[in-house]
Parts: sequence; C-alpha cells; structure tokens
Amino acid sequence: MSNYAIEMRDICKSFGPIKANQNINLNLRQGEILSLLGENGSGKTTLMNMLSGIYKPDVGSIFVDGKEVSIDSPEDSKRLGIGMVHQHFKLVDVFSAADNIWMGKDKNGFILKKSRYNEIQEIIEKFGFSLDPQKPVYEMSVSEKQTLEIIKVLYYGAKVIILDEPTAVLTVQEIEKLFAVLRKMKEDGHSIIIITHKLNEVMEISDRVAILRKGEYITTVDTKQTNEQELTEWMVGHKVDLNIDRPIIQKTSPLLEVRDLTIRNDAGALAIDGVNFYIRGGEILGVAGIAGCGQKELCEAIAGLRPIEKGQMIHKGDNIVGLSPKAILEKGISMSFIPEDRLGMGLAPSMSITDNMILKNYADTKGPFVDRKQGRVAAEEVIRQLEVVTPSTETPVRRLSGGNVQKILLGREIKADPNVIITAYPVRGLDINSSYTIYNILNKQKASGVGVLFVGEDLDVMIALCDKIMVLCHGQLMGVVHAHKTSKEELGLMMTGALNLTDKYEDKPAGIAKDTLFEADGEGKEA
Amino acid sequence: MGLHIVKRDNCPLWKKCCFYFVSVFAALLIGAIILLAIGVDPIAYYTRMFTMGTIGNRIAYKTFMNYLADFVPLFLTSVALSLAFKMRFWNIGGEGQFIIGSIATALVAIKLGGVLPSWLVLILMCLAAMIAAGVYGVIVAALKVRFGTNETLLTLMLNYVALYILIFLMETKQDWNFFLDPEVPRPVPVSFRDLVSFPGIPLGEKFELNICVVLAVLIGLIIYVYLRYTKQGYEINVVGDSAGTAHYAGMKVSRIVLRTVFLSACLIGLAAAFKVGTTGILSTAITDDVGWTGIIVAWLSQLNTAAILFVSALISLLHFGSTIAAATFSQVDSSFANMLQGLILFLVLAADFFIRFRVVRTRKGGSNNG
Repeated sequence: MSNYAIEMRDICKSFGPIKANQNINLNLRQGEILSLLGENGSGKTTLMNMLSGIYKPDVGSIFVDGKEVSIDSPEDSKRLGIGMVHQHFKLVDVFSAADNIWMGKDKNGFILKKSRYNEIQEIIEKFGFSLDPQKPVYEMSVSEKQTLEIIKVLYYGAKVIILDEPTAVLTVQEIEKLFAVLRKMKEDGHSIIIITHKLNEVMEISDRVAILRKGEYITTVDTKQTNEQELTEWMVGHKVDLNIDRPIIQKTSPLLEVRDLTIRNDAGALAIDGVNFYIRGGEILGVAGIAGCGQKELCEAIAGLRPIEKGQMIHKGDNIVGLSPKAILEKGISMSFIPEDRLGMGLAPSMSITDNMILKNYADTKGPFVDRKQGRVAAEEVIRQLEVVTPSTETPVRRLSGGNVQKILLGREIKADPNVIITAYPVRGLDINSSYTIYNILNKQKASGVGVLFVGEDLDVMIALCDKIMVLCHGQLMGVVHAHKTSKEELGLMMTGALNLTDKYEDKPAGIAKDTLFEADGEGKEA
Repeated sequence: MGLHIVKRDNCPLWKKCCFYFVSVFAALLIGAIILLAIGVDPIAYYTRMFTMGTIGNRIAYKTFMNYLADFVPLFLTSVALSLAFKMRFWNIGGEGQFIIGSIATALVAIKLGGVLPSWLVLILMCLAAMIAAGVYGVIVAALKVRFGTNETLLTLMLNYVALYILIFLMETKQDWNFFLDPEVPRPVPVSFRDLVSFPGIPLGEKFELNICVVLAVLIGLIIYVYLRYTKQGYEINVVGDSAGTAHYAGMKVSRIVLRTVFLSACLIGLAAAFKVGTTGILSTAITDDVGWTGIIVAWLSQLNTAAILFVSALISLLHFGSTIAAATFSQVDSSFANMLQGLILFLVLAADFFIRFRVVRTRKGGSNNG
C-alpha cells in the first residue's frame, strides 16, 4: 500500500476564466477499480485527459508508482503504462481488429506478419473477451468496438486503464460482460478508473469512489461504506429525490398512429421494418433498442425528414405521410433528437440562443425582416423557466454546456405548444440535476395531454418514467410492454432479439390500438 | 519552465484591431527588408506606393479616380463571395462568373450602344451581366443540390472554361466576331467607350465620382442589412451553420442554396458590368484577378461586410500603388503587391491564433500538503 499506482496532487487546470480542475487530489491503488463520479462539467474528463497526455496541468504534480512524472504527450502516457478508452472510439473502420491494434505499435517494423492475429488472440482469451481478430471494424457492433479499444490498451501494456463512460452505449447484458472482464483485469493486477454517471454501476463494480463537484475534489470513499443517496448528495451538493415520478393521467384516444412503417437508412438498408405503434395523449411511450437499430430513422420519418418506403402515419385521423417538415410542424408534432455530438440536429451551434429560438417560426411574421424581439422574449422565458446557465440571450449555443444546450432545444420545442413530442436521448450525457429537470418537463407535458415518444438508452429511467415501452431490434418491433410490469432483463432480451412479444396476445397484436382512428380519415378531428 | 497555450475567452475589439494592425505592419516590415536587399529605399518606395504618387502630381484627382475604378469590382466581388461563403458554399468561381458577366456586358454595349439611349443601355448591360453570371454560377449550385457534386471543383473548372471562351473571342479574327475592332487587321478588341460609359458625379472642380462607386457602397450596405436582419439572411446563416438543422426546421435548403448562389454570382456579374462599363473595352486580363483576390478579402474580413469595405480598399491600394511605384522604381515589379498581399494574409491568420489563444508560462508548485 506504500505506492499508489497513480497519485495526482493539487492539480489545477483552467480554460480561460473557467476553472475546470481546482486543487484535485486523486489516488489509485494498485489493483483496484476506482469510480470517478461527478456531474457534467465537474472536470472528470479533464482530469483524466491530463493522465492520458492530452492536457497538461497548470499546477500540480502526478506520481506514477511513487515517482513524479511529467506527462507531455499521449506517447509519454503510453510509456508510463496508462491507457484510456475514450467515449468516442478512435478506430479505423476498414481495418481488421488486429490491424487497428497493430498500427499503433512502434516496434513492429515494416511488414505485416501473420502472427499478429495469434498474438492478439492470446490477449482476447486471457481476459475472456469474445472478438475475432480478423473482423473488420465496420462490421462490428458498438460493444465489439469498445472491446477492441480495451484490448488495444491492454496490448500496449497498460497497467492503469481509464474508461470514460463505457456503459453509455451498451445493453444490460453487454454491461455485465464488460464488468466481468474488468474484474478479471483487476485480478490480473491492473488498476482501473471508470468514469460514469450511473450510481448502480458504481455500487456494483468499484472498490472506491472519488467524487468531484464543479471542478473541486470532494472526497474518496470505500464503496462498501456508502450508498446511492449519500453519493448523490456529495455529487450534487444537496439532497436530491432519486425517484422519477410517473403521474397517472387520463389517457385520450390515439394521437399518432403508425402502421406497417418501413423506412430505409442512408445506405439503403432497411432501418425500420414494418413497425406498428401508437401514442395516446397523456402517455409517454418509450422506445428501447441498441444504438442504431432504427431510432434515428424513425424520428426523422415522423418529422417528415426522411422518405417512407411503405406504411402509414395517422395524426388525429389525418394522414401525414408525404407532408413537408413544415406542414408536420404545423400539425403540432415536434421532434427533438439529441445526436451523439449533441448539436448536429435541431440547433445552429454558432448562432445565438435568440436566433435558435426563432428557428421554427421565423417565417411566420410579416415582411422581409426577422423579428428578433419576440425571439429574445422567448429566449428569456426559457432561460428563466428551465434555469439555463448562460451569460446572455446572445451567447452562441455552442458555448453553453451540454445540459444547457439540451434545455434550450427542449424549451423551444415545448414553447411551440405541440401535441406530440418526439424526443430522442434528451438526457444524453446529462448529470442527475439536469436529467431530472428534463424528466419534469416531459411529465408536465404529459400532464397537459401531450403524447410523448421517448427514445432513450437508460433502461432504469425508461422503466420509471414511461407508461409503455416498445422495443426495437434491427428495425423490427419486438413488442410493446407496460413499464410497471416489465424488467430490465426482459427488455434486454427483447433488444437483442432473443424474445419477441409481438404475438403474445392473439386477439391484440402489439402496437395496434383497439380504438384506432385509423380508417377514420374523413370523420374530422377530435377536440 | 515550459510554455503552453491557453484559450482566450473573449478578446476585446481594440485588442483585435491592435493584433491586425501589428500583423499588417509586420508584413510591410518584411517587405521593407526585401526592398533593402534589392537596393531600394523602402521608405521612398512605400511613400510612393501608399500615396499612389499623388503628391506633387497635377492630375492627382485622375489617379484617385482610377484607384476607385480598381476598388469597385474587388469590393463588390468580395461582398458577393462572402454571401456564398456564409452559407459554406465554396464559390471559387468568381473569375469565371466575372468573365461571363464581362462578355455579356460587352455584347450589350456593342450591339445596343448608340442605338438606345445611354441610360437604358447601361441598365441593360448590368442586367445582362447579372443574369449571365448568375446562371453560370447557379449551374454549379443546381448540380450540387441535385447530384451532390463538389462545388469547389466545379466552380474552379468553370473558371477555365470561361477564360478560354474569352480568349477565343479575343483572338479569333473572323467577320462574325464583333468583339474585335473591324478597322484593325490584327485581333484587337473593339472599344465602346465613346458609345456608352458609366457617368460620374462631378465633385469639386475636376474630380468626378463615378456612379459605380456610389452604387457599390450602397449594395454593400444592402447586403449587410440583408444578411443581418432579413429572413433570407437568417436562412443563409442557418444553412451555413448546420444544413441538417435547416432541413429539420422546415427550410427548403435546396431553394435557399440556389437562391443565394444565384445572388452571389449576380453581384459578381454586376461587378463585371461596372468594370467593363468603365474601361469600355474587353480584354483577356479584364478580371484583374478579382475572383481570386476577392476570396482573400472575404476571409481576411471574416465575411463581415463592413470589414470587407476596409480590406478591399487596402488591397486595392496595394495593387494600384505598386503599379504606380513600379514606374519610378524599375527594379521592383508591380507583382510586389501580390507578395505583400500574401504576407498580410499569412500574418493576419497568425494574429488570429493570438486572438483565440494566449501563450503562458507553465507554473510549478502550489501547496504541497495533499
């Protein structure tokens, strides 16, 4: 216990006037799993980037195995046996697994040897991974890519492995597999730092937990001597109610019905394959599925951004297939999709909050000029109601932190007074406080009779928040289940395609409402 | 003790201006060293260049009028290019659009000059140039919208297509070719200066302010307002920032792209009409490279219309001044201005780095009580 694997003393790092890290002390024992816990913007990734040589601390010192070191570049970090698995994978798509590992090694010489496959196979077997070294990356699933990233740092001889939010993209079963591997690595003497938001995972995998809050170091505790409630309080700074409400609202007849919908993705493959579902007013319908199983294409199709191959979409008795995005907006269907980079769809990042507020209604005023006054009022309202942290309404959106960006986006969508909200990953990467704000917003909308389609990734949240959950696997509907009757395990099996509940009730196929408005095209709209 | 780079949060305007001023000054300093090496007195040279030889010149007003005639096409072209660049449409085809505009202008001037009243011919010249150049530009936009072609490559290639059409017209001595002077047996372009030319507004005794200058500045002002305050300008900004978002907000992205590129090319055509309508003659060197220089001006100005006014005035001054200075200093060719322009671009980009980042010393230590 005399020497820590890594010890960071009094680390400070600022970006301009923002103090990302202030006097942080962190130590990692040999052969332990340490969770690094903190809200967005609390400086976790910054701190880890200083270990991996991407940033240099302004002040402070780093010790590896008791010796003071200076990490000036990623090469230094690699030499010291520190390996980091980033949130966004750094892989070459057209290379095989083995070649991706091989190309980063310095002493390989000029010739690709056959033996590289065997060498990498050895590591794979040693830690109990399952991966074919000859498989090209573009054919891999997300979890396989992540596995490859981990094998890569192991192959380079890392003794300390840092994982930045590794579970965000995995299913329940895949997370279990990952944790098994991490435990094996620990037994083998590796020390591991895992960054995560998810408290249940912290409790399950780690030996100790270090907590950061707003760039400051709070404490490090033994996992066994703490609980989720206590960790949250350290992380947030005050007491937080961890329960997500699911108010029961009087449901109305189906607002949006989708029947036999088939959509192709950009590459021309089937993204959504004959899917049926419906959303009632006053309910939240969750959409669960492994990343990339057609959620994005589904959202785009409903918003009118993607052509539909086959099928029908009925909104309040009117067919909306083939309408322009503008016409669909005017019907009161709002779609907000938070992509991985958070800014790609729905916001113009270099433009001000005001300019982003008027994005969907700038054309409604008369005359050739843009009415920014009304946009500024809207921006001020959203900032006040959703507690957005920003210097002013004229700040470019890309300068805001992730949570605030998402609040702006959702705030604008709600201001438009929609009756159907399609929201994909609204809490992607958000910390607990911001996430709960977003859940409250959605619940309020639900209470006012809006139908919500919630595409999510965290099953715990979906089970707590949604009324019903539909599960997609490779674009096919695996069934629609009641959230209060299902379990994570059941959902996980459906997501991987192992369980299909579409034919569970013979009289009632999944995704088709009994009181359908479907054939009612001419009957006029309901109130 | 090492140095490292820290991001600046916000750089006040006066500091920015200082950085830019220093970089322009540094470029001139490097130029001075080169001049010294050739054996030219840099102070004398720069004085001559920046005053455009107006000091002690009896026809200084004439020089200044010529300078303005150089400035107008560059300013207008830069404004036009900035419009497309704002939308992240890389219109490298300013040269080609300018040439097509010039040919259209000359065509109208030669065919209708003297037939119709002068003011009508001038308006028709402008319209013809705008439509011809606009269509030439919009072809590329249409191909991009329809087939996803790369606009940089296409506009670039169309520059050479236009250039060789112009060379063909300027060098083919045939009876049908009314662009050439029928009186001369060699291929010499015909002058229509006496037939039709943009009028000047007399100011003072001899100085005449060409109407093109007034119009160009006015158009600059309109484009400034257009980009900032109108719905169409707003759309251009959104499409440039994120085409996906524009699509998602219900904007008709293809239409916006076509409209904006047409407008951009139109304005370049108008610049050509102003140029040709002032010189009164077509030539293979009619563009004066404004299609290329305009790109530099637009970027140096960071696509800000107000800044384009100053930058294009400065760059025109360099070019025009160096031509005049070359008459006195025979060792220094007028392409010295191109070198200075390159240096300025390079150093202003370097200054941009200092505007965005600070270089600070790495400190060690801090309290060691952890």
